[in-house]
Amino acid sequence: MAALWIQILPGSDIPIYKQVVEQIGQAIAKGALSIGDKLPAVRKLAAELVINPNTVARAYTILEQAGLVTTKTGSGTFVSDPKLRTKDAADINALTERIDTLITRGLNLGFESDELTSIFKERLAAFETKSKSRKKK
Amino acid sequence: MTDSVLQTNGLTKYYGKDLALDHLDLNIPRGCICGFMGRNGAGKTTAIKLLLGLLKPTAGSASLLGCNSQQLTPKIRQRVGYVTEGHRLIRWMTIAQLEKYQRAFYPKQWDDKLFNDMIEYFEIPKKKKIKHISNGQRAQISLALTLAPNPELLIMDDPTLGLDPAIRRQFLEGMIKLIMSENRTILFSSHILADVERVANRIIVIDKGVLRANCTLEGFRGAVKKINVSFKTSVPESIDIEGLLHCRKDDKEIELTLVATSDEKIDKWAISAGADNYQPVKMNLEDQFIEYTAPKGRKRLFQWETH
Repeated sequence: MAALWIQILPGSDIPIYKQVVEQIGQAIAKGALSIGDKLPAVRKLAAELVINPNTVARAYTILEQAGLVTTKTGSGTFVSDPKLRTKDAADINALTERIDTLITRGLNLGFESDELTSIFKERLAAFETKSKSRKKK
Repeated sequence: MTDSVLQTNGLTKYYGKDLALDHLDLNIPRGCICGFMGRNGAGKTTAIKLLLGLLKPTAGSASLLGCNSQQLTPKIRQRVGYVTEGHRLIRWMTIAQLEKYQRAFYPKQWDDKLFNDMIEYFEIPKKKKIKHISNGQRAQISLALTLAPNPELLIMDDPTLGLDPAIRRQFLEGMIKLIMSENRTILFSSHILADVERVANRIIVIDKGVLRANCTLEGFRGAVKKINVSFKTSVPESIDIEGLLHCRKDDKEIELTLVATSDEKIDKWAISAGADNYQPVKMNLEDQFIEYTAPKGRKRLFQWETH
């Protein structure tokens, strides 16, 4: 349950609660945190990262609203199974928008569409192997 | 017990003819870490001294833990920790003597273990005299002396000024540790806004003795915006948009700094002004603070509450 993989960068244009949300989200996507894993208690993580406990609580609430974690009263916050999450039109829209931004960037840099496709597949594979190798342990 | 730990009403202070603090109305809720921000000479130290009853107000009033600052009883003072600017401690005393001296003021609440653990961690021998230790060590002793009584309200006046990053971090850790105890409240002033951002959940901004913001940190982060607007032809003569702080005009571009202007309002304005395109400019807390207190900007007061 070590939480030292979260790195706080004060003085950035990204608020600290968002940095926590993004890094936990990434840890889940990459399999560093698996389904059912318990997140550190709010106060413990706040003490470890030397940030306000309200900031951690806010990050956890956002992760919960996004369906990435579930809080069970009295026992803690756990990583949820993404397959159980209902993906609605807004989720798809948000994702499409981000992919469009990346495609634009790629085309502007002069990449061909098949090159972009292979980069995308390669990155996706990196996530999949990491998350699988973690689960076997 | 009231829920306002720290309150001022029309608090005003003149030094001779110089106005240092101008009708300050503050109210800090229990349980927060509040970062007190303001440029040099903005009136932060004056406000803190008035709150602690160390100065007399010219007009208005201040109170701590529900008690008028001019009439603080020893009982109230026992619940308040205060770290002075520059960590002034009695210079001829040894650390052990200072510990005994300070301890006497807080007989029932002094945490020996906490104090000793901290001094051991800092690796400062207790038999050393204050005048023989470095500035950094004096700051560490001051931190340990202030945290040992486990104060309900901790007020620190620029505690990390001139300290190295490791000692600065120890102060932040001390604050986080204290706030974990129930019902604790911390007010600290600092120019290191990355520290404020790290530990504070509320902020106060004063500028030339005038209150400019008293809100949650996130509220301020979300409210102060800068946008870069481009025009196909020439920029409009007058800029009429809600929450405008200041604007910099160029040939075909203007840069607007805004406070509490919703994205919808910005959008509406951009269309009505005939803008070709506009982009938000990324800002960190320091950028926002500098823009917000810029000398030429309009002086607005931002108070914003959530949860």
